[in-house]
Amino acid sequence: MIKAARKGIVGNGIETIKNLANLLSSKNYRGSVIFTAEPTNDQRKMLEDICPTKALFSVKENNAMGLDNGKCIMCGYCSEVVSETIKISNKPVIPVKMKSQIIDYSNPQTFPSEKSYEQIGNELKEKIQKMFSRSLAIRQVDAGSCNGCEIEITALNNPIYDIERFGIHFVASPRHADVLLVTGPASRNMETALLRTYEATPGPKIVIAVGACACSGGIFGDTHATTGGIDKVIPVDVYIPGCPPRPEVLIQGLLLAVDRMITNGK
Amino acid sequence: MNNTNLENYAKEITDKFSNKITKTYQNNDELHLDVELNDMPKICDYVYKNWNARLATIICSDERKNIGGFTIRYVFEKDGGFIFIIVSTGQSLSFPSIALHVPAAALYEREIKDMFGLIPTGNPDTRPLVLHEHWPDEIFPLRKEFELETKVKRQEKEYPFLRVQGEGICEIPVGPVHAGIIEPGHFRFSILGENIINLETRLFYTHKGIEKLAESLRLDEALLLSERIAGDESVANSSAFCQAIEKIAQVDIPKKAKKIRTIFAELERIYNHVGTLAGISTDASFPFGAARLNILKERLMRLNESLSGSRILFGVNRIGGVRCDITDENKKLILETLREISDDFDKIIMLLKSKSSFMDRLRGTGTIQKKIAYDLGTVGIVARCVGIDIDTRRDHPYGSYHLHNHKTPQELMQHQIEMEKRTGDALARFEIRVQEVRDSFDIIEESLNLENGALFTSIPDSLEPFRSSLGWAESHRGQTLHWVMMGENNSIFRYKIRTASFCNWSVIEQAVLNDIVPDFPLVNKSLDLSYSGNDL
Repeated sequence: MIKAARKGIVGNGIETIKNLANLLSSKNYRGSVIFTAEPTNDQRKMLEDICPTKALFSVKENNAMGLDNGKCIMCGYCSEVVSETIKISNKPVIPVKMKSQIIDYSNPQTFPSEKSYEQIGNELKEKIQKMFSRSLAIRQVDAGSCNGCEIEITALNNPIYDIERFGIHFVASPRHADVLLVTGPASRNMETALLRTYEATPGPKIVIAVGACACSGGIFGDTHATTGGIDKVIPVDVYIPGCPPRPEVLIQGLLLAVDRMITNGK
Repeated sequence: MNNTNLENYAKEITDKFSNKITKTYQNNDELHLDVELNDMPKICDYVYKNWNARLATIICSDERKNIGGFTIRYVFEKDGGFIFIIVSTGQSLSFPSIALHVPAAALYEREIKDMFGLIPTGNPDTRPLVLHEHWPDEIFPLRKEFELETKVKRQEKEYPFLRVQGEGICEIPVGPVHAGIIEPGHFRFSILGENIINLETRLFYTHKGIEKLAESLRLDEALLLSERIAGDESVANSSAFCQAIEKIAQVDIPKKAKKIRTIFAELERIYNHVGTLAGISTDASFPFGAARLNILKERLMRLNESLSGSRILFGVNRIGGVRCDITDENKKLILETLREISDDFDKIIMLLKSKSSFMDRLRGTGTIQKKIAYDLGTVGIVARCVGIDIDTRRDHPYGSYHLHNHKTPQELMQHQIEMEKRTGDALARFEIRVQEVRDSFDIIEESLNLENGALFTSIPDSLEPFRSSLGWAESHRGQTLHWVMMGENNSIFRYKIRTASFCNWSVIEQAVLNDIVPDFPLVNKSLDLSYSGNDL
């Protein structure tokens, strides 16, 4: 009886879901914007007008349309206006190393990675064992985010994603950190603090910009009170797009960051 | 709502100050009184003291082009209505402070000083609030001539913190970059041994100029912006914004949309309350409880995702209705998931309450005095934990909340007794959160009998310039108020946002005074304040 009561309170043993591949995201999830056909001239004009963060832009030379995933906040307005050419996919956008890679075009298609959270985690674990003797320390810095990205980063620590089992942990001071996970459009009032956090982090250090705001300013843009992206203040090594990026994408970004450290920043 | 009440108030105040009120008009639940600048403090004082009206917000707008001066609206909340006391500054660049009579006004006046350059004469605190010391003195972002994209130079200056001096007293500066995964803010503790003698908060690190930015956006873009005021209050903030616009456009949204808004608002409340309870458990050094609650939070966020396409409920609202439908399949999913979660939730709470070390840690920690909570104008759980009985869902029903407010006299009596018993400590806040989560389960279940019908009504293409309205919602932190004034060509002339956190932040300086430094994280978490929602 005690056993049964204990099970009632404690739960059903291991909560960490080992195979997240099929559970990754529901079919409604707004993960990425995908072109299903080449937009016509009129459609391009409409799309450019409707996009609130100017993520969709026309490319003059080849009459194509570009999509800056670093700016996209997944509002879905574009697919409501021009549903023939654009659809919202539930596959999230993958993180990238360079800002130029963040842009998709309507003619060549790129498809997001199909790996599960668990596969990426284990790959990451192996690399961390080699590079950092089993522990990668992360310092999270909020540079003006709306708290959406923080909710997802906190979720990495919950028993379901449980990122510590891959040898990754969040530390309290930048002096202990290998990686800075920065969110927000870098508000002007946080600029100095962000810079000083960066300076306090020992090298070699990796900076990851998390979320549309950190990649480009997002909906907050580049105004008197914001700087329009983390890379305007400190050098960024990996960009994780999304508003907010889900935990599965955050861990992909970490993998990319570790890769970058192994290859000395290439 | 309570039109007759407001009419009585209008009559009373015009009798009392007959020659001082230049114009009175009533618009549904808003009573507007135009008064002269010099008479304003007396009238505000009368409304605050004699009617026990709560200061809801102070709104300033730059109307120099239209009426030749800045307009300041003092909004008081009373009996389901809002009383606007409206003054124009004319040529003067200062206005009399009411902070000495209405303590809650102090912060609003400092905000107006920073953003508009109007001096509140008589406000004892002349330090900047929103714009930190590196902003030049002559920059006032919310004035109309200030361009949104101006890059202003930085200047070197220091912020004068309150100095506590004496033998053995030292200071601990904390932040803006904190130890945990939370938002930035600076706390300056003056301590004697471990005891906190004084705490000073310095916020606005995440100030992103949202109110100024909104003035350059289309309405549907501003809706997206309102969702991102605070990521965890997205439904509450966007609902409040939509309601303000819908009131300006004078449209009534479909019943189904109202119910769906209610369901999502409650889903938002549940996942955030569960997250906060987990945080309280962590900060009380009981990670096991936190782990169990975090599993529930994750499940709730997955439910959010399958319903709305976003784990934190972005993209639920649209002006005139909602964007996501709740199909029969979804209804089944909601019911099944919530039943499961509600069972698990009860078990975990039982477990937490059976741990004396956990309960002892909460009892008597971070106690707030009722008088202080009232004077500072707190809202939401922070007010309810000392027995101030306010809840926007009941006081100003929006969405379909009017359907859930029916209580039997016995229930009302019980509610009254419970309010009297509340002690204002972290335990009281813990228990209220648990109760609210359970209430939310019930509200969602009751709301699921959706009518057939449209998800939204269309609003007119162009709205009348210079019409304004107030929208409100009860987020999981408390009342959030959005005031919108339309400009020409369907633009936004002024968008004033006041979230619950703006009212509640100042109480933390008082709540920690009887505690030691290691209690601070627990007190902070139990109050559950948003930095981004405060800083805008």
